[in-house]
Amino acid sequence: MKVNRKRFLAAAEIALLVLTGFFLFKVLDVGHGVAPSPVRDYITENGSRETGALNLVTSIYLGYRAFDTLGETMVLMIAVTGVLFFLVDPGKEGKDDEENQHP
Amino acid sequence: MSWYIMGAIFLVGIWGIMARHNMVKKVMALSIANSAIILLFVYQGSLSGETAPIQGGSGTMADPLPQALMLTAIVVGVCVMALALVLVYRLYLKFGTLDIREIERKAWKLDD
Amino acid sequence: MTKKTSILDLISRKLAPFMLLFGFYLLAYGHASPGGGFQGGVVISSGVILLVVAQGVDAAEKLFPFRALSKLEAAAFTAFLAAGFAGIALGMGFLGNPMTHVYASAVPRVGMALVLNLIIGIEVGSGISLICLRLFRGA
Repeated sequence: MKVNRKRFLAAAEIALLVLTGFFLFKVLDVGHGVAPSPVRDYITENGSRETGALNLVTSIYLGYRAFDTLGETMVLMIAVTGVLFFLVDPGKEGKDDEENQHP
Repeated sequence: MSWYIMGAIFLVGIWGIMARHNMVKKVMALSIANSAIILLFVYQGSLSGETAPIQGGSGTMADPLPQALMLTAIVVGVCVMALALVLVYRLYLKFGTLDIREIERKAWKLDD
Repeated sequence: MTKKTSILDLISRKLAPFMLLFGFYLLAYGHASPGGGFQGGVVISSGVILLVVAQGVDAAEKLFPFRALSKLEAAAFTAFLAAGFAGIALGMGFLGNPMTHVYASAVPRVGMALVLNLIIGIEVGSGISLICLRLFRGA
């Protein structure tokens, strides 16, 4: 039973890796070379005129996609909050918490 | 050639997530897979030009769009890694081990 | 902390202010040169981490107090939201560029990008410094 399960897990891992590799390399085969991109041409053309930033990366993430950046800072703040919350050792500090009742 | 190397790095990350039993190594493998995707996008963007995407220079500029997207991906990856490592730390405090199988066994026993 | 050598002590004292200064340079010129809010913030927090590693957590926390950093982070996020609503107040939509109306088109309208870069840099720097200070202090 134990050995069977272990073998099954190993076979599943190998099968998943092979499948992932097959589809991944199928996709990577397509993407050689430079694709024509109207977005790139538009940003190169008008990017710094419309947002004022010479750095085109800045003009994208603070101009065209500023809402995305807002969500990103939200993600960062929530991650920092989570880290600061979870780093408190329940055994040492916060003895009066409700969640530390059972050992 | 570079495409296949990046795909291989991604597969290394996937394999690490599946096959390693140490949870810290699992988190690091997740970070490796993330890095492979970032490398792929930036490399694709760099094919269309040589200089940095800053107006006023000479020569053809690299594609700025993948760089901006990957900036988001890097920050979110850092956040995910910090939070995951802290959760691993809490599991270590509770169960006294980093092995995912041991933790699973102890967690089932705790439930009874 | 283990015993530190005088080389580490000297180098960290001399290097950390310049790392902070370089971080603020990246913030302030992120719209015109390589750099930007996220990169500058990470450089600032790497200066804080150098202080923590070389001088000890107590010395670093005297310079960057824990509560002040967390308040700074929340204030930076609020300032980001306020910058977004400034666009609404001037009729440009949420996170629109309010400098469009203020200056003539001859002046480069970098104001919004500069302000947002500074805000994001302060937020990222204080956030990652908070994580690392908390990690180094131990549970």
